[in-house]
Amino acid sequence: MNGTADNHVSKNNHSPVIAMVLSILFAGLGQIYNRRFLKGVIFALVEVAFIVTMLDSINFGLWGLRTLGTIPGVDHSIRLLVLGVLSLIGIVILGSLYVFNVIDAKRQAQKIQTGWKPKKMRETIRDAYDTTFPYLMTFPGLILMIFVVIFPLLFSILLAFTNYDLYHSPPRNLVEWVGFDNFVNLVTVPIWQETFLSVFSWTIVWTVVSTTLQIAVGLFLALLVNDPRVKFKKLIRTILILPWAVPAFITILIFSAMFNDEFGAINRDIIIPLFGGEGIPWLSDPFYAKIAIIMIQTWLGFPFIFALFTGVLQSISKDWYEAADVDGGTRFQKFRHITLPHVLFATAPLLIMQYAQNFNNFNVIYLFNEGNPPIRGQNAGGTDILISWVYKLTFDTNNYSMAAVVSIIMGVIVSAFAFYQFRQTKSFKEEGEI
Amino acid sequence: MVKKCLFTLLLLTTLFALVACAPDRPEEGKSENKDSGETNEKPDELTIWANDEEKHLEAVKSFAAKYEEKEGIKVNVVAKSMLDQLQELSLAGPEGKGPDLFLQPHDQIGNIVAQGLAEPLSLTEEEKSGYSKAAIDAVTYEYDGETNVYGAPAVIETYGIYYNTDIVKEAPKTIEDLQAILENYTDQSKDQYGFLMKPNDIYFAYPFFKNYGGYIFGGEPGEYDVTDIGLANEGAVKGGELFQSFFGKGKIPTSTTVDVVDGLFTEGKVGAVINGPWSIATYKEALGDKLKTAPFPDINGKPSSTFVGVKTWMVSYYSEHKDWAKDLALFITNEENLQEYFETAGELPPNTKALESIDDPIYEAFAEQIKSGVPMPSTPQMSQVWEPANNALQFIAEGEDVKPVLEEAVEQIKTKIEASGGTGQ
Repeated sequence: MNGTADNHVSKNNHSPVIAMVLSILFAGLGQIYNRRFLKGVIFALVEVAFIVTMLDSINFGLWGLRTLGTIPGVDHSIRLLVLGVLSLIGIVILGSLYVFNVIDAKRQAQKIQTGWKPKKMRETIRDAYDTTFPYLMTFPGLILMIFVVIFPLLFSILLAFTNYDLYHSPPRNLVEWVGFDNFVNLVTVPIWQETFLSVFSWTIVWTVVSTTLQIAVGLFLALLVNDPRVKFKKLIRTILILPWAVPAFITILIFSAMFNDEFGAINRDIIIPLFGGEGIPWLSDPFYAKIAIIMIQTWLGFPFIFALFTGVLQSISKDWYEAADVDGGTRFQKFRHITLPHVLFATAPLLIMQYAQNFNNFNVIYLFNEGNPPIRGQNAGGTDILISWVYKLTFDTNNYSMAAVVSIIMGVIVSAFAFYQFRQTKSFKEEGEI
Repeated sequence: MVKKCLFTLLLLTTLFALVACAPDRPEEGKSENKDSGETNEKPDELTIWANDEEKHLEAVKSFAAKYEEKEGIKVNVVAKSMLDQLQELSLAGPEGKGPDLFLQPHDQIGNIVAQGLAEPLSLTEEEKSGYSKAAIDAVTYEYDGETNVYGAPAVIETYGIYYNTDIVKEAPKTIEDLQAILENYTDQSKDQYGFLMKPNDIYFAYPFFKNYGGYIFGGEPGEYDVTDIGLANEGAVKGGELFQSFFGKGKIPTSTTVDVVDGLFTEGKVGAVINGPWSIATYKEALGDKLKTAPFPDINGKPSSTFVGVKTWMVSYYSEHKDWAKDLALFITNEENLQEYFETAGELPPNTKALESIDDPIYEAFAEQIKSGVPMPSTPQMSQVWEPANNALQFIAEGEDVKPVLEEAVEQIKTKIEASGGTGQ
């Protein structure tokens, strides 16, 4: 390259380091040094605008985030926390712009040093448009994500490290940072510990049993209906899909009435006439309430699985079964080695998400029995899962920080489900990775 | 990548440590006296948050129009569900978008005062005199050693007996009468019940305990001692045993829910139920002239101390015209307007004269019952009482030993109050 054209040679002393340092000193200076005047001026203007308009509010936001206010009645801690989180987001955005500015100055200086000749203005713009088009299109979505997802998430995570409850509520009182105290209390203070452990273990049992049951029932019914000897397939399928078509909350409320110990149809018209006795205490005994609620969830959940499996079953080629027949495979062997791998392979991600969904299935728990029946010596009901317990903590007892702690734990568990799903299933891998 | 992360981290920490210094605030921030900054100048307009219920809104809008005519201040009535008001006030208030007046049930007062959302009203004796004593008791609250009135009562309510004259010829005067009705008429196989109530609700079951000397919090109304819980004392146990005698085989089933009570009563299969004036419309529609009401039956030879609830207009801490907001609150709840309110919205007035002038036989029983009622505790610690107390009632109804169940409930209430951070005051 050296010496091919004289105007290139003269640029050999153009230093990327100087461009970088200039850009770090003030955004845009490096670009101006690179003789990209318009770009440089734009960057510089952005920084000036930032200093003039936003430095003060970001400073205030960070101060608020650090102290959560110092004067009760004047400082509103929760507002300060919100402003603080917004400032953090602002800083991250501006920080990445600044980093981009420095890297850009350095790259361009390097190119100029090796003899690259800047393109004409119009070409640059067209090039930029071509390369950045996908980013431009996703930019509004990204901004929306930041404010709809990331911002509330950060806010609630931070809440878990404060003492925000009714007695530490603005405007009268200030909220304070308490570090990991809430987490420690959850596992050491008896009233929290006992409740947390029992609610947590029931949540796990509930998730595993109810989801597995709904998958098993869905699979079983799909296999039955798919058998070539069954007539009126369409009609049977329609009927089996019906529980899915009725809004879940209506179904749950009706079931709740039907399971009533004294007045419900299940005891009155089925259990007592058939078996005699007093009937089963569906709503007042924790054990039976758990059984009832698992059955209801199975009823609500199986149609989706059934529809899913029915679709997959029809796509399995008949050749496989014919080959198995030739080899003398039994019915069970055909199921075990052909059908099951096929359906599970195709539906695994959706099945895993079913588990995650049931883990947070607030509707069915709360509408059925509000987490009841009560258990002596515990501050959550017998069927309360983590999410319904969080609801009670927030709305009945205004213990926001503890609710935030439990929410974080739930978030971590659900993310683990999601992470596992992304890692283990091939459906989400990018093209060419398989 | 690692370098970049480090760089960002460094940037953040430096910003955090160096830049995040206290902002320049007006020095008087600390000593600023809220009142001195205000003038009593007439504002152009006031904003009030009314409940989003149709009849209620209609009445409040009419008062707003009258007030505008009288004082020349425009009153914006915003419909906002009572349940959402507190949360929105704590968000909108600091932004200056909150109301001057809002409506809340009095048992929220402790909650509201703890957050500092409402301003005390400092009513004169004369201004207080129009309201009934129960209503003023209900809106009085002690915080930090200072006892204040926190609202202008707008509605007062309590519960009593509804009965179906086809089944119950004469109103039960004492709890024994009610028990006799229950035992004589109940036939479970025909879904017929002399008397029904939901077991797990301390709100309705409170007279059983109170009349024998049990109580929730010690101290005077509004000045509660939350460390003194009287739900397991001797009287409470006695009351619990009486309560227990209403449930079981051939009596009230322990799984009775509100839906069951309302359903069977409106079908005409139940002699008597306990409920408040909010159910008049539903019951009247179903039973017509067969429906009658009576005060809660006497327990232990005394008129029953039912829980009284008061809905009250409160002045927002964020209001810029607190004196005028108070003036408006008093105007809305004067005798004439409360009477009009009763006629439009069908809710009982806390004004003594307006209450006495009611001659609708259905409402009269409730007006009568209010005289012996006690206000529901308004401390925020009350929210830790409901669940354990209701659960204890359920266990009692199911036939478990009364004393240990109540003792356990009290223990649980105490730990819950502690866990919620409520022992501080």
